[in-house]
Amino acid sequence: MPRPTSFGKDTGLQVRMALTLFLLGLVYVVLIVALLAVGASGVTVAIIAGGLAAVNLFASDKLALAAMGARVVSPQEAPQLHAMVERLCVQADLPKPKVAIANTRMPNAFALGRSPKSATVCATTGIMEILSPAELEGVMAHELTHVANRDVLIMTLAGFFATIAAYIVQFGFFFGGGGGYGDDDDNPSFMVLLLVSLVVYIVSFLLMQMLSRYREFAADRGAAIITGRPSALASALQKISSGMHNIPQKDLRAAGELNAFFIFPAGVGKGIAGLFATHPPMEKRIAALARLESQLQGQVAA
Amino acid sequence: MGFLDILRGKRELKQPAPDRLFAMSTAYVKMDMELELKSSGKAAIVFQPLATADFEAIVRDMEEVVQGTGSDAGTTVTSSDDEYGYRWMILADPDFDDLVVGVNAVSGAIQGGGYGDRILAAVFAFRDNKDRPLYWIYNYKRGAFYPFVPASGSEQRDNERELRLKAQIGADLPVEPELERWFPLWGIPV
Repeated sequence: MPRPTSFGKDTGLQVRMALTLFLLGLVYVVLIVALLAVGASGVTVAIIAGGLAAVNLFASDKLALAAMGARVVSPQEAPQLHAMVERLCVQADLPKPKVAIANTRMPNAFALGRSPKSATVCATTGIMEILSPAELEGVMAHELTHVANRDVLIMTLAGFFATIAAYIVQFGFFFGGGGGYGDDDDNPSFMVLLLVSLVVYIVSFLLMQMLSRYREFAADRGAAIITGRPSALASALQKISSGMHNIPQKDLRAAGELNAFFIFPAGVGKGIAGLFATHPPMEKRIAALARLESQLQGQVAA
Repeated sequence: MGFLDILRGKRELKQPAPDRLFAMSTAYVKMDMELELKSSGKAAIVFQPLATADFEAIVRDMEEVVQGTGSDAGTTVTSSDDEYGYRWMILADPDFDDLVVGVNAVSGAIQGGGYGDRILAAVFAFRDNKDRPLYWIYNYKRGAFYPFVPASGSEQRDNERELRLKAQIGADLPVEPELERWFPLWGIPV
């Protein structure tokens, strides 16, 4: 094969993702040690949290669909969307997920389900209106990559110990925090656990948001690979994003007088706010897709 | 896809499976003799056209190559883009074996250019004794065929007929075992 792949490697992304997972693991080991040190009550909390996480994993997709007001549609109801997803599935070598539509004007799409066999991809009526077929295809390929990468499962598992830590923090404030002044001897170790949990909770929260952003980059990349059209997805992202980043549709003269009334959220996605975001800033995603496009066109050595 | 690939969020398009396209040539003998299914004289290969200069060049070369493959009458090639942005290369030849060779030449040219992962499927069109259309679709990534029989009504398919076809031809043709991967292709232009 003269060209094994049209796109370069994503070594940088892989390294960052591995580092994040490693740090997350490290933080969790600290928590496990603390839990075991406390003994029986710590283990009980872990088991309860595990049960809740499992319920979450198995039941959440139906709940989320209902919360979004989404409905699974048959191929007869949405032939275009089904045909599009089917072709992407052939390309991505995936079984076909359920296809749902949410009746809302907000342009969005999401994927649910813990495994490719039980997955659902959903698009809103808003996104289907504003995007061209090629752009919508990019968005659906992004969601299918989430399915293929099992991102729901990975984020649930990555968040498992963070959930435990959160329970302990709440539990501690309810029972340990208020009245326990110097009455029994296991109090110090419980206070240590509470502190450890608090730190674990905060650190793992930040790490998880970071991991989530890397998974988004990976899904964008996957979508570009499946469709072979990175620029279509970039253009879709531009349309979906707030409108501030859009290539303007409106005549300069008409928009000019309104500009004075807009407050541009220039700081969003930078500095502290960026640490808490689950999605990377739009400019970075579009820049990454632009790099993929130039690799595809053979402008940049892979 | 392995566990590590999932963890790393790694995505690469699967390259085509080992080629089992030519099984269609032998299976056609049985379809023709026993099942009264005739080739419509047309086959097609559908792929994602990439908007790059070298891909366009490969497609142009390919058309010339295929024009030359047919034995005597020669295979004719036309191409069209569908509403989903996929390109169909439609081959017409009264001789079924030449059609299979032609389809293989097209996919070979795309794979030779390093774009094998862009091929969606190959489609062979047949007519039964009542002149209704039915198709065998070859999924390159799976290296397997599956039947597709459109029924009357909008976007309905005749699943019973498809399953019967699988039972009839299954021994001669590698048929896709997972039914949820029998993806329909509506509006096949052959």
